Amino acid sequence: MLRKKTLAFISSTVVALSLLAGCGSNNDAANPASGSPSASSGAKPQEKVEISFWTTYSDADAGPITALVDNFNKSQDRITVKMLGNQDPTKQLTAISGGAAPDVLLTYWNNIGPWADAGAVLDLTEKIAQSGFDVNAVIPAAMERMKINGKVYAMPFTMSMASSLMYNKADFEEAGITKPPETLEELFEYAKKLTKKDADGNITQIGFIPDYPWIDNVFWPIIFGGSWIDEATGRVTPNAEANVKAIAYQRSFYEEFGQNQIDKFKSGMGKRGTPQDPLLTGQLAMYIGWEYNFMPERGEDGPIGVAPFPYPADRPDLKGSGMVSPRAVFIPAKAKHKDEAWEFIQYLMQTDTQVQYSLDAHVIPTLTAALSDDRLYVDSNKTMWPFYERAKSENLNGFPNSPYINEYLQALTEETEKALKGTLSPQEAMDNVAKKIQPLADKK
Amino acid sequence: MAKAVRNENAIGIRRRSRKTLMTGLLFTSPWIIGFFLFQLYPILASFYYSMTDYNLFTAPEWVGFGNYKKLFQDDKFYLSMYNTLYITVVGVVPHMAYALVMALLLNAKVKGQSLYRTIYFLPTLVPAVAGSLLWMWLLNSQYGLINMGLSAIGITGPNWLVDPDWTKPSLVLMGFWGTGTITVMYLAALQDVPKMFYEAAEIDGASKWRQFWTITFPSISPMTLFQLIMMLISSFQYFTEGLVFAEATQSTGGPENSLLFYSIYLYQQAFSFLNMGYASAMAWMLFLVVMFFTLLIFRTSARWVYYGGEK
Repeated sequence: MLRKKTLAFISSTVVALSLLAGCGSNNDAANPASGSPSASSGAKPQEKVEISFWTTYSDADAGPITALVDNFNKSQDRITVKMLGNQDPTKQLTAISGGAAPDVLLTYWNNIGPWADAGAVLDLTEKIAQSGFDVNAVIPAAMERMKINGKVYAMPFTMSMASSLMYNKADFEEAGITKPPETLEELFEYAKKLTKKDADGNITQIGFIPDYPWIDNVFWPIIFGGSWIDEATGRVTPNAEANVKAIAYQRSFYEEFGQNQIDKFKSGMGKRGTPQDPLLTGQLAMYIGWEYNFMPERGEDGPIGVAPFPYPADRPDLKGSGMVSPRAVFIPAKAKHKDEAWEFIQYLMQTDTQVQYSLDAHVIPTLTAALSDDRLYVDSNKTMWPFYERAKSENLNGFPNSPYINEYLQALTEETEKALKGTLSPQEAMDNVAKKIQPLADKK
Repeated sequence: MAKAVRNENAIGIRRRSRKTLMTGLLFTSPWIIGFFLFQLYPILASFYYSMTDYNLFTAPEWVGFGNYKKLFQDDKFYLSMYNTLYITVVGVVPHMAYALVMALLLNAKVKGQSLYRTIYFLPTLVPAVAGSLLWMWLLNSQYGLINMGLSAIGITGPNWLVDPDWTKPSLVLMGFWGTGTITVMYLAALQDVPKMFYEAAEIDGASKWRQFWTITFPSISPMTLFQLIMMLISSFQYFTEGLVFAEATQSTGGPENSLLFYSIYLYQQAFSFLNMGYASAMAWMLFLVVMFFTLLIFRTSARWVYYGGEK
């Protein structure tokens, strides 16, 4: 009897203690951290601050950014940046909404609008003014994406850019085409020449698919000089003439080659970015090119050619148009070390850092000055040269960032899809978008 | 004297039973605390949030039933509900029937049966994402094995993953592959059916068909009820496979939103549009719908479920 009692007592004490231990472990961990340095802080006047920096990069892609962080940590002895990769937007959202927000995060630019509107992102206006950071040194198309209602909430650390046409040189040669298309009208004609069908009428090679690899509801309107919002009146303008034209142009490919035919052929194409990439195999002769596509293959002797993306024949002023999609660094409103975080962001936005990162990671710098930096024009970096050049174009643009950006983009995708399939006319589809989104724009 | 003793005893028992209760509570406390913190509280909180305009960051703003009213005016609410009902209605019963047929086959006395059982269960172990990616290759309209097979018998297969009329049937088709768990549970139920019923039926000259409908099916009906409800619930929460298939067309909802299932739309509202209040209302609406169907099944179950030979 006594034994049983003792046993019950012991085991319940153990359980109770382990529960307490669970609650207390935080304190245990925190005490030595706050305790011991404070003892030595008398000797050292300035305590080193550790800030956390979250990125979206996977381990495989984290090399170049790790080098930058190491470099920063070595360059001074006040701030240590601790980097954590693989933090996708959902994880980031959870972190910045909870109590333990990281100090700096790198994310996709379209998250900035909704997150800033919700009050989770630090308004950088004051920090920019205090530190004398020159916002005008940043490529305007990239900088513009960081602004919500005229306030700057983030910095564009890098940018991706779609303003090129990439093509399969062998396909061109076979079709007797000697130079890439200049205008969109030529692009359409070339696409016809580059498309082959077998005896049953099935497509075996196609010149161009306007919505490959995805429905691009930003790129195409930019190419046609479209817009999405009229700042003066607060009206959303997805149904502006140029936007509708952009959809109609894409639709014309489906009318020419057949909806089912394209769909069927498309689903049989190899995966993008692999050795079976349809542009590499020649199944697809041309596509919208980004600076990260075909790094070695687009070299002088490689199988892939690169050209500026065509413009509408009646709008030569739109030459050099293209879309930029930056990656943004921002400071959460709840971050503990905002000053140090801003210092680190400024480091990321220096010419030296930008040049180094462009060389290592093959991305486009976001500082205008960096684009002309001699260090970039080394032979080993040759495939990037035309992209630096095109990044200087004044016709680069992007989607306006806003609190309702994700709803807007979603609505555009859904309605564009209907228009491409021909269930709605381009005008009807874009009118629908305006109808859906205007109430959201009015609310904010 | 005797009374006093009895009283003392009663107090002793009460004291002891209270002690036992405390010990019991202490030992179950990890679960109890976990339940209150991680289940009950979030559930109640989501109900509160469903009555508010909440973006995760700023304080929730009370809107009463506003979110629920908005739901009924939202086209995509109906569309995602339709997609989910489709996958439930078209998917659940055929999948169960298939699992039952497989269980009957795997219950037969054949040489190497345990090997077959393993083989049919194996696909269940493949993670949902990996399985979906594999099936996307099988369903590829140009090079996929399925369309190749169909063309061998003179049928031109559909464009499974791209044609909005075929995306959901693709998922239903894939679902047959993952019915291993139901098969195993049916198999267990089949082995519990008393042999004497069959012996008696055989003596009376009942056919195999008749034996199935009058002995087997009623005997395993509790298992059918259980499976039906479990599958219904998981089908209403359909998410992963739909999302992976939709990715094939570089979108969240698949071709013409034909793969925008209720949970996917809820996720989009919550984490992409930051409408946490609206998403919470969607979750509660889903709960009501699932509750309705579960009760409906329970109500009808009296007519077709037999426990120990009795209705």
